[in-house]
Amino acid sequence: MNKTSINRLIDVAFRYFGLACTLFGLVMLGIFIIDVLIKGLGRLDWKFLISLPSRFPEKAGIYTALLGTCWILVLTALIAIPMGVAAGIYLEEYGKKSRFANILEINITNLAGIPSIIYGLLGLEIFVRTLGLGQSVLAGAMTLSLLILPIIIVATRESIRAVPRSLREAAFALGATKWQTIWTQVLPASAGGVLTGIILALSRAVGEAAPLIVVGALAYVPFAPKTPMDEFSVLPIQIFNWVSRPQQGFTINSAAAIIILLMITFLMNGIAIYFRSKWQKKVKW
Amino acid sequence: MNKKLEARNVNVYYDQTHVIKGVNLGIDMNSVTAFIGPSGCGKSTFLRLYNRMNDLIEGFRKDGQILIDGKEIYENGMRVEDLRKKVGMVFQKPNPFPKSIYENVIYGLRIRGINNKKMLDETVERSLRQAALWDEVKDNLKKSALALSGGQQQRLCIARAIATEPSVLLMDEPASALDPISTSKVEDLIYELKSQFTIIIVTHNMQQAGRVSDHTAFFYLGELVEYDETKKIFTNPADTRTQDYITGRFG
Amino acid sequence: MTHLESEIKNLKSEMLEMFALVKSQLEKSKQSLIRLDKDLAREVLVHEKRVNGFELKVDRDCENIIALFNPLAIDLRFVLACLKINSNLERIGDIAEGICQFVLNIKLEPEKSLLENTRMMEMFDTSIMVLDDTMQAFETEDTRLARSVFKKDEILDEINLNANQAVADFIRENPERINQSLYLLSSIRKLERVGDQCKNIAEEIIFYIEAKVLKHKSREQKQA
Repeated sequence: MNKTSINRLIDVAFRYFGLACTLFGLVMLGIFIIDVLIKGLGRLDWKFLISLPSRFPEKAGIYTALLGTCWILVLTALIAIPMGVAAGIYLEEYGKKSRFANILEINITNLAGIPSIIYGLLGLEIFVRTLGLGQSVLAGAMTLSLLILPIIIVATRESIRAVPRSLREAAFALGATKWQTIWTQVLPASAGGVLTGIILALSRAVGEAAPLIVVGALAYVPFAPKTPMDEFSVLPIQIFNWVSRPQQGFTINSAAAIIILLMITFLMNGIAIYFRSKWQKKVKW
Repeated sequence: MNKKLEARNVNVYYDQTHVIKGVNLGIDMNSVTAFIGPSGCGKSTFLRLYNRMNDLIEGFRKDGQILIDGKEIYENGMRVEDLRKKVGMVFQKPNPFPKSIYENVIYGLRIRGINNKKMLDETVERSLRQAALWDEVKDNLKKSALALSGGQQQRLCIARAIATEPSVLLMDEPASALDPISTSKVEDLIYELKSQFTIIIVTHNMQQAGRVSDHTAFFYLGELVEYDETKKIFTNPADTRTQDYITGRFG
Repeated sequence: MTHLESEIKNLKSEMLEMFALVKSQLEKSKQSLIRLDKDLAREVLVHEKRVNGFELKVDRDCENIIALFNPLAIDLRFVLACLKINSNLERIGDIAEGICQFVLNIKLEPEKSLLENTRMMEMFDTSIMVLDDTMQAFETEDTRLARSVFKKDEILDEINLNANQAVADFIRENPERINQSLYLLSSIRKLERVGDQCKNIAEEIIFYIEAKVLKHKSREQKQA
């Protein structure tokens, strides 16, 4: 065979190889989802959603875990969003080109790479013990906030960076102060990207189990949290707990819970995609 | 006669680079002055001295005086936001905000806390009329500014700049991104606005400088080589460098 | 109106002013010669400076328009035509001045019989009329009127041709009036040149309106 034929062969071979690689992941995911659906779909009913956990699989439900997840979601959002967006704005607009800013930049990137269980240990030491918050929803939310903060910061910075300089120049030339420019032009223009980042970050928070286990989200919680200081549990932990039990009934329960968790995740990602496409249409540079 | 805009022995540096060298320039009220010169000669930098847009650039340093209506604009007591109300700017590439036409025009007023609807409506109509855009957009002021054509966007930017009723209008190659018909509309506009504003326009298009300006300043390598009536510069410039540039021998 | 349009309009008004000025110089030169009014003649000489000043201004204005505005097509032809018409008018002004110069040198009022035989009045009147026609044609952009100038100029040529004989006869009979007779003959020559200048002006008018070049063409071709 001559060189051209070999090249062509490599070209075709790669095409099929690449396709196979792509399909592998999708196929695995597909198999998993189908398996879960087969096992758990039948178990899904209203009773399942509002029942408290129990030793008996037929009686056990995800009520407390679901509510715990909601509490965690809301609290984490309330803490992480303002902090993350403000930090992102500060870093991108105010703190530039100093040694301090460079150090900050490197460290934030590092933060995103730290294993989530370490955040759990951090939360345990600072929030649960030192600040005396105990094994509460608040401690859990603060821990998760730390975890997703870098994601929000990076998403905010990227969106703000995407706003062209000419827009800021126009606002400055009309006499806007730096803050006015950010508040009236840069933020609204970058809102879509920031929102997308926030939703993806929260979606990640919803699925975390390890840091919350360390902080003390108990697996057996027979009541739903009513205040931020209450003890709590979340869906991923509940699933983990059920999966480690031998009874067949709990396997089915965990499948059903997984379906709920997946639904929440897909819903949040879907919203993020919707907002991103809406934003891209509105702001065409 | 006192000049509206005066520059006395102005030098500008970006870090160690000396970009404007000892420029003296006096500009009359209600005139159109063109800054011409080859790329990188400093004309845009000099233009931006008048509304202190260079302050935004790292490493910017200046000495000498810049006076508007007899007042030094770089003194410590001068608030940049107030200066930019009196000195408006239009940029090379039209840069309307991604908002409605209405919101674009009144931005300069909104950020100063003016929210009286009647006043805003009047300002919008007056500014759009002055910018020769009113008839084309009056039926739908809520339309997004980004939906307008390039020429219309630039006229919108002009309307936006004059909405705060500045006395000086700085234009940095305002027509270079536009097609010929839009360009001539903008040029006619400048000719009409002259009676109400003092206009400085940076242009690399010599014919444009000839058509719209009363006075022309020729910059070269950071120096002001010649400044005179446009008629004189274009028919019999005093400096050979000016003549070489105008006749296309370089730059 | 664009900047260029208003400049062209100003140029046209200036040209019409110059036309009017030169026409009045010619009329005054006629009066001063017929009645030997030396004061009127001196007035014309003083006003000649104005004519020259006008010529310089129009030249400068045309130069500025070309340099600043790059006029094209009819605008360009108009400006180029004005440049040439400008010098034609200035020469007509010179002619009026020249005639008045003669008046200052003549001692006695011209003889009626000489004026009649040479058809001097007709010469003056026709040349002033021809100038007036070109001015009208310029103002109203009337190319028909411009073309009629070529025909009317013939009268001037005819009078000029016959003047020699008339003056020669007169000198033989009135040898003491030889000086004024010669001055009169020279004036007739000058007035004939007014006709030529007006023909040139008419050619320029037709050029700028129709873009047709009639220079150096025969009379029949011009009438077409």
